[in-house]
Amino acid sequence: MPLTLLLLPSLIFLIAVFALPLIRYVWLSFHADSVMTGLLAIPNQGANWQRFIHDSRYWQDLFQTLRFAFVSVTAEVVLGFIIALILNQPLRKRALIRSSSLIPWALPTTVMALGWRWIFNTPYGPIDRLIQSGLGRPLNALGEPSIAWITTVYADIWKTTPFVALILLAGLQTIPSDLYEAAKLEGAGPWICLRRITVPLLLPYLGLALMFRLAQAFGVFDLVQVMTGGGPASSTESIALYAYWNALRFLDFGYSATIMIGSFVILSSLIVIAWVVISLARNRSAGAFAK
Amino acid sequence: MKATRFVIISLLIWSLGPLAWQLYTSFCTDQALVTPFASLDQRWTLAHYQSVLLSNPPFIRYLLNSLFAGAISTILTLLLAIPASYSLSKLGKRSALIIKCVLIGCALFPYVLLFLALLEIARYLQLGNNLIALAIPYAALSQPLAVLLLTNAFSDLPPELEDAARVEGLSILERFRWILLPLISPAIASTAILVFLFSWNEYPIALTWISDSDQLTLPVAMARIAGSSIHSVPYGPYAAATVIGSIPLIVLVMVFQKPIVSGLTTGAVKG
Repeated sequence: MPLTLLLLPSLIFLIAVFALPLIRYVWLSFHADSVMTGLLAIPNQGANWQRFIHDSRYWQDLFQTLRFAFVSVTAEVVLGFIIALILNQPLRKRALIRSSSLIPWALPTTVMALGWRWIFNTPYGPIDRLIQSGLGRPLNALGEPSIAWITTVYADIWKTTPFVALILLAGLQTIPSDLYEAAKLEGAGPWICLRRITVPLLLPYLGLALMFRLAQAFGVFDLVQVMTGGGPASSTESIALYAYWNALRFLDFGYSATIMIGSFVILSSLIVIAWVVISLARNRSAGAFAK
Repeated sequence: MKATRFVIISLLIWSLGPLAWQLYTSFCTDQALVTPFASLDQRWTLAHYQSVLLSNPPFIRYLLNSLFAGAISTILTLLLAIPASYSLSKLGKRSALIIKCVLIGCALFPYVLLFLALLEIARYLQLGNNLIALAIPYAALSQPLAVLLLTNAFSDLPPELEDAARVEGLSILERFRWILLPLISPAIASTAILVFLFSWNEYPIALTWISDSDQLTLPVAMARIAGSSIHSVPYGPYAAATVIGSIPLIVLVMVFQKPIVSGLTTGAVKG
């Protein structure tokens, strides 16, 4: 049928960019392909995978990536939800609010990542100056391993929270107001309305925002590469950044591919688990709504 | 409402405050940055802007490169996605659902993990240092979003419209030109602007595909100004660069906030 042919070009692009690389990574992960082998792929009987499993730097980076993703996404969705609830009424300056929420999201990550380096600079940045005059000692927000990752989380929250709020606000505005009026007539207080009407009906939006943000946060690269370069002491290094170092700094393509396909397997199983949990929660709250 | 006003003002300060600080920094002399409270002969300067605008290659070059890559990618994305979405909207429910699930899966994939294989492709096909070639991965990465948005738009059209036109004897190209495209133009506008934003901002692929300093896109040029050391970044010129680099996007967002939001929210509702 000629109509289905129209899908083909688009699908070919998708396959070339998504499927082929993954297949190539699986293949590369069983080969030594580095500067040592003259960039020729030589089968190495799973040595990459041996190394992967025992690579404490990788597991450290995976931990850091998950920590970054969960803390920042949780904060973004909770804050975004609260902001959306408060803004969910006829507003006069809607265009202004929309634009100012979109600007942090729309700017290239690298642009503000460098901005943050100046703002959190020790000792000349404004944050450090404030803290120094308050506490009498510098915060060293980008130089102290136990704090630097929180600084990158902060930059991520800055960029995305207004955006999440905007999406959730749009979701809130699809909830018909007569539902609330009916609940009010039945004597339901604001807390019951929130639990029984707002949250269940907003759940598809919340779930979607959560899934997409988590998937993006797992792949965090631009922000960390420019803001801290993975430092101090690798404390902010994400798995994507580690794979990048392996490919372009250590010129070890085989191992870089192993990291990426390994991470892909780990992350997709995490997403499947999250999806099952979310759909269970959705069924339960739908049940509560029916009662 | 007091609470609402408080939230709106905090939101504005939150979003725009860091940018305001960059703006302030960009006009300060180096001396004023290091000792802000001392009395200085000269506090304000345009030197940072001069050094950014007159560097080699001048900063405007990166903006033009990004604009060019973004425009080509947007056009290519639409050329691929419009026919695909039309066909997808006519497909049986089941196969359409399968394809949509694949698209959502691709959209969820952290694409940064693809950079190594894409770099190999670029080397193999000699596509490095070529802004036009960047449109290939960008269009592919934009397909999930573009096809989902446009399929929704096509599905929302009443089928009688096209049937009537077919009965009148309009060919498929004529139906596209005179009936379908005008009716889905709001969705096309949303898609185009979102794809353009993605391409303008994309970093990891541009970083690995382009090394020639004349061909850098804005995000890569920004990162390159930073260099590798955390301590020796020229913050004054850098702040000037952030300001110049932000202006086109701020204008874009102000002008197109409506299609951007509608594209994002229909994506969220029906995706």
